Amino acid sequence: MVSNVLVANRGEIACRILRACSEAGLSSIAIYADNDANSLFVELATKSVRLEGESITDTYLNQQQILKIAKENGADAIHPGFGFLSERADFAQAVIDSGLTWIGPSAMAIEKMGDKMTARTTMKAAGVPVIPGEEIEQEDAEEALEAIRESSQRVGFPLLLKASSGGGGKGMRVVNSPDELDDAVSGARREAIAAFGDGRVYVERLLTGSKHVEIQILADKHGRTIHLGERECSVQRRHQKVFEEAPCPTMTPQLRERMGKAAILAAQAVDYVGAGTVEFLLASSGEFFFLEMNTRIQVEHPVTEMVTGVDIVREQIRIASGEPMSCGELIIRGHSIEVRLYAEDATNNFLPAIGPLVVFQPPVGPGVRLDTGVRQGDEVTPNYDPMLAKLVVWAPSREEALQRMRRALDEFVVLGTTTNIRFLRELCDQEDVINGSTDTTLIDRVWPNGWKPNVPKELLNAGLMIAGISESSGKHRKTNSESQTIEGPISPFSTISRRFP
Amino acid sequence: MQYEFRVDGEVVEVTVGKKGEDWVLSGNNASIMTDGRIKVEMSDGTIHFAHSAKVGDTWWIHLSGHIFCIERIEPGATQDQGDASLSAPMPGKILQVLVKKGQKVEPGQALMILEAMKMEHRIVASEEGIINSIFFSEGDQVQQGVPLLEMD
Repeated sequence: MVSNVLVANRGEIACRILRACSEAGLSSIAIYADNDANSLFVELATKSVRLEGESITDTYLNQQQILKIAKENGADAIHPGFGFLSERADFAQAVIDSGLTWIGPSAMAIEKMGDKMTARTTMKAAGVPVIPGEEIEQEDAEEALEAIRESSQRVGFPLLLKASSGGGGKGMRVVNSPDELDDAVSGARREAIAAFGDGRVYVERLLTGSKHVEIQILADKHGRTIHLGERECSVQRRHQKVFEEAPCPTMTPQLRERMGKAAILAAQAVDYVGAGTVEFLLASSGEFFFLEMNTRIQVEHPVTEMVTGVDIVREQIRIASGEPMSCGELIIRGHSIEVRLYAEDATNNFLPAIGPLVVFQPPVGPGVRLDTGVRQGDEVTPNYDPMLAKLVVWAPSREEALQRMRRALDEFVVLGTTTNIRFLRELCDQEDVINGSTDTTLIDRVWPNGWKPNVPKELLNAGLMIAGISESSGKHRKTNSESQTIEGPISPFSTISRRFP
Repeated sequence: MQYEFRVDGEVVEVTVGKKGEDWVLSGNNASIMTDGRIKVEMSDGTIHFAHSAKVGDTWWIHLSGHIFCIERIEPGATQDQGDASLSAPMPGKILQVLVKKGQKVEPGQALMILEAMKMEHRIVASEEGIINSIFFSEGDQVQQGVPLLEMD
């Protein structure tokens, strides 16, 4: 039985899980670092407990402290969310060893899938197709480099270097030719060591023009393993997804059946329990290859929830309590799209941005769902991931869903911090997005020299007018100090003139 | 009222006039609503509802799905902006310095690698030039906005 869930996470996903606990009639505990004391998720828990320490290592990654809080506050289960400790087999085991319920798969499953090289080997053995490539077992930097040089000759260029402990695009490098190899290897290793404390990198052929298609899995402790159909997440920048949808626009029932079967095989190969995602590359030839399995709830899970009607987080809790999953026969209904709203500068290589959320006004209306961990007045800091929100829409057809997304993005007002909202909005107008011809190279292909907003001149002029009015009317002063209205004098002249520096 | 603004590196002088409760500029009419938004009637007859908020000297404006950052230039302020591309975009740590003082660099050439938010960011030369100062070395922590290098 599960009655009091500690959520070992923060931000948007902590909100999602804490709300699910509340909806399931369970008590919940939020844990927060000092710099999160006023964050939204802290408010959503039955109880919230402060983490001591300053760095992420001392707080959200501090297993001892989190287990201590769980014990002292009567938690009987821990939900890790995604990121942080969610894919740490040692933590899963420590939770179980201290008599608590771990809302996730076994430590063994996490370990086998978490190490990307082991996962490849396991999948090959289970008969699931993997991307052509080679594991590199050497740990020493010099020996590994030598082995990668040799391997690259067999795998061929362009190739992809991936960190064995990798995720989130960290420790990953595209290598187009042999002369780029050495630099790429040292860069990937350095990033992997910094992010995961493990510099092992392996080699895969780069399958350009492929779709990233993943299958959502649910497995309970009563022997039932099912798939909930696919999500397509091909549109990526910096190897991170920004636009996700379900179903995949080019999917056929036959292919879904085959990919679903492969995903179930993958899950069963590690005796999987709970919610998980098996990621594949779908080549234009129709062949698909295992990429990796994420042994946790995923950022883009809402699109599957929208088209299947299954509450995946609620099922995770149910499965962890030992109950059978509640969903019966599934049908996929309509179309759902999610975009990830990031605090980042899309005009400057998607560099993360920080600042105050002076205005944060999300869209509402039919078919719109917003999962976020922030609200107006919050500050975006460099302390954590720059994802602010996930905007999700559902509509009966893909065309209508895309139009609903355009409408919702136009209504979304965020001021004070640079975000990718306008980029996402213009993405919805791209021909390949409209046709569903999305692949992992889309952003680089459409904007080879980087993205710049397409601004009609009249609109910019109106923007300048608004700046002038805002300045004149003393609008900003009203929010800061006592109202001190400045009346603009009546002028017969109203002009706009440009000067170039 | 006349103001000087900077938008996308361009300096623009804007003079808005007032007619009763309404504001006017180039055939556009606007009024301030009770919730602080600004209702704009464009010369083509379309109506938009704009949000604006000021952070520091910059007005953030949301208008019809577009976002503008418009910086107010205070009268008498100096025009020196510095080269933004050679300052730290985020607080972080210098991982590598790829150039030496006096070195000639090409546009697009990587000058430094900065680690921020666990990702590596390349500091890239936006134009051809010669490095005349390097302010940090490998391993240094830097704050956002501090100049990292100087070019001629």
